[in-house]
Amino acid sequence: MFAAEFEYHRPKTVAEAVKLLRKVKGSRPLAGGHSLLPAMKLRLASPAALIDISRIAELSGIKSTKDGLKIGAMTTHAAIAASAVVRKHCPVLAETAGIIGDLQVRNRGTIGGSVAHADPGADYPTILLLLDARFTAVNGKERQIAAEKFFVDLFTTSLKHGELLSSVTIPSMSSGASAVYLKHRHPASSFAVVGVAALVQVKKGKCADVRIAIGGVTVTPVRAKAAEKLLTGQAPTPENIARAADAVSDAIENPLGDPYASGEFRVHLASVMTKRALIQVTG
Amino acid sequence: MVERMVDLLARELKMDPVDVRRKNLIPPFMDGYQVATGLTYDTGNYEGALAKALEMAGYEKLRKQQKEMRAKGEYLGIGLCTYAEICGLGPSQVAGAVGFGGGLWESAIVRFHPSGKVNVMVGISPHGQGEETTFAQIVANELGVGVDDVEITHGDTEKTPMGWGTYGSRGTAVGSGALMGAIAKIKDKAKTLTAHLLEASVDDIEYADGKFFVKGSPSKSKSIQDVALMANVAWNMPKGLEPGLEASSFFDPPNFVYPFGAHIAVVKVDAETGEIALQRYIAVDDCGKVINPMIVAGQIHGGIAQGIGQALWEEAVYDDDGQLLSGSMMDYAVPKAAFFPKFELAMTETLTTVNPLGVKGIGETGTIASTPAVYNAVADALAPLGVKTINMPLTPERVWRAIREARS
Ligand SMILES: Cc1cc2nc3c(=O)[nH]c(=O)nc-3n(C[C@H](O)[C@H](O)[C@H](O)COP(=O)(O)OP(=O)(O)OC[C@H]3O[C@@H](n4cnc5c(N)ncnc54)[C@H](O)[C@@H]3O)c2cc1C
Repeated sequence: MFAAEFEYHRPKTVAEAVKLLRKVKGSRPLAGGHSLLPAMKLRLASPAALIDISRIAELSGIKSTKDGLKIGAMTTHAAIAASAVVRKHCPVLAETAGIIGDLQVRNRGTIGGSVAHADPGADYPTILLLLDARFTAVNGKERQIAAEKFFVDLFTTSLKHGELLSSVTIPSMSSGASAVYLKHRHPASSFAVVGVAALVQVKKGKCADVRIAIGGVTVTPVRAKAAEKLLTGQAPTPENIARAADAVSDAIENPLGDPYASGEFRVHLASVMTKRALIQVTG
Repeated sequence: MVERMVDLLARELKMDPVDVRRKNLIPPFMDGYQVATGLTYDTGNYEGALAKALEMAGYEKLRKQQKEMRAKGEYLGIGLCTYAEICGLGPSQVAGAVGFGGGLWESAIVRFHPSGKVNVMVGISPHGQGEETTFAQIVANELGVGVDDVEITHGDTEKTPMGWGTYGSRGTAVGSGALMGAIAKIKDKAKTLTAHLLEASVDDIEYADGKFFVKGSPSKSKSIQDVALMANVAWNMPKGLEPGLEASSFFDPPNFVYPFGAHIAVVKVDAETGEIALQRYIAVDDCGKVINPMIVAGQIHGGIAQGIGQALWEEAVYDDDGQLLSGSMMDYAVPKAAFFPKFELAMTETLTTVNPLGVKGIGETGTIASTPAVYNAVADALAPLGVKTINMPLTPERVWRAIREARS
């Protein structure tokens, strides 16, 4: 199908983009286009105007700052997967970026587009929730949004209309902490049917800073707080890990289902994958 | 269906599925075998293909490995399929008898130009199966010309003779029959002309490697290109022989052809998540005479991928109102190259008697064998858990539910 008619603007700076977003009625940012354009072709979305932000140089790039890794919204999945800085400071993020979709998707898709789109099957939201990432939005002035507050509902974030996401900041992981992202890939789309991210710091044989994030199962990714609590302060024995993994379902309300995987199966997968992720990060 | 039944029977009888198949395979035959359903299979050596596949797979070793893994709670499965396919459709008389609205013969025109180049117009029209290459090789080989000197035209009905279509793995099985008929006519006429030019008797003219020569004195010879030139200029034709070197032929096969083979799939099933990992895939196929091994392998590869797609991924899902839910490539899982291990292929060559070259079909064998081979492998992996039947495609959720049900 063809998209409905739309206007097209290609600003060179963030200030210009924000102005256009505010001024042009029914406008929307266009990043890599790998979620927005398919939606437009299916007429699930018909923005009156696209503000193409792909030529704004200040929006892409990766920097290591004192607050952690600062990644520009227009940075592609491929760039993050290949980045030496990311591999050094946050290898799990590079690994996650490297298993998004296929090569074409990774070469076009951007971190900003992915999180702004907030697809329940996307990979970044889950890992960024795990890593306590902060999102920077601009509309004249800047504001910071914590990951826990950013993902609001199915395809819905706390970005306001006219606001542009400029970067994502990932605080450094505490030394000695280990993190992993496991994905059950949909055989057609490659999206995560279930994505499980886990982080644990083993100190003197006990688990500290335990974090578990589950994606794909609910409208937004969730932290499995009860499971995290069960393992905190405990030794990472198979029994303790199994007990924590069993508690993952406590965090899940109204699981999503589709013809490939029902809600019940997704919850089951989330629990099994959590067990495996915890074994991996504590092993 | 049949292949599943054989495996279920093996399980009931507590026999190895290989042994059940061996007991039931028709022994090798080279000149027709009438089966219970009334059809006469052309030629077959089913045990030969099976033995080769088992050897390539290292079957005994795999069974040992399976036992060891089961002891550790890991589920390895080995699945077999021995198949014989009916294809190369078919005698036109059968088409008439079963109410098929057309004939099932094929046609070809071979035109030898004075330049030594050959134009071939065929009724059969490949759409990706590679017969442009296969046919050019046949003509080059039979007429002793370079493969680059042969041009195949198909699908252009302004130029080509009538054909009945590429399906039922009949393109080469039937199409090459017509081609060989036209080639034989060309050779016959060239022989007559050579005899006239060399002042010898037609019965003394022999042909080899693009040359016609007098029996016993190979120095007295003419290349096929020379003969073609002489036929086309017609300066010195024997009485009654028309100028030109062109022939047309129609081929109606006397029977179907029956390619066969044995495939083995090795899978590992994750009993917790229901995920299936394809570990190895071994295919031994017999399509009679192999003309172009790479094209044959390509057909087998594609067929295997499609057949496994049916077993594991592809499904059109409708809701209760008849709305298609798997309506896009983001929902409907077609097999991709990265889903597969490297296929391990081998051929056996049992020629058919149905057509001049002894070729059978190869376009569909992969799809026929791979669906049951992979299904049988998954069922074999899950046998110790008591799982017998799962609906296809064997998605992780279906596998997981089947295991859960069998356990409770
Ligand atoms: C075949 C295929 C497979 C895929 N597989 C996966 C997968 O396995 N995992 C995965 O996570 N994703 C997957 N994706 C999605 C892919 O990662 C997309 O690229 C990504 O979701 C959107 O990024 P984009 O840059 O293309 O954004 P676009 O499509 O350009 O935009 C998406 C939305 O975000 C908005 N937007 C974009 N940038 C900004 C910004 N800076 N500020 C505010 N709003 C903004 C747009 O207005 C739009 O609403 C797949 C996509 C395809 C086509």
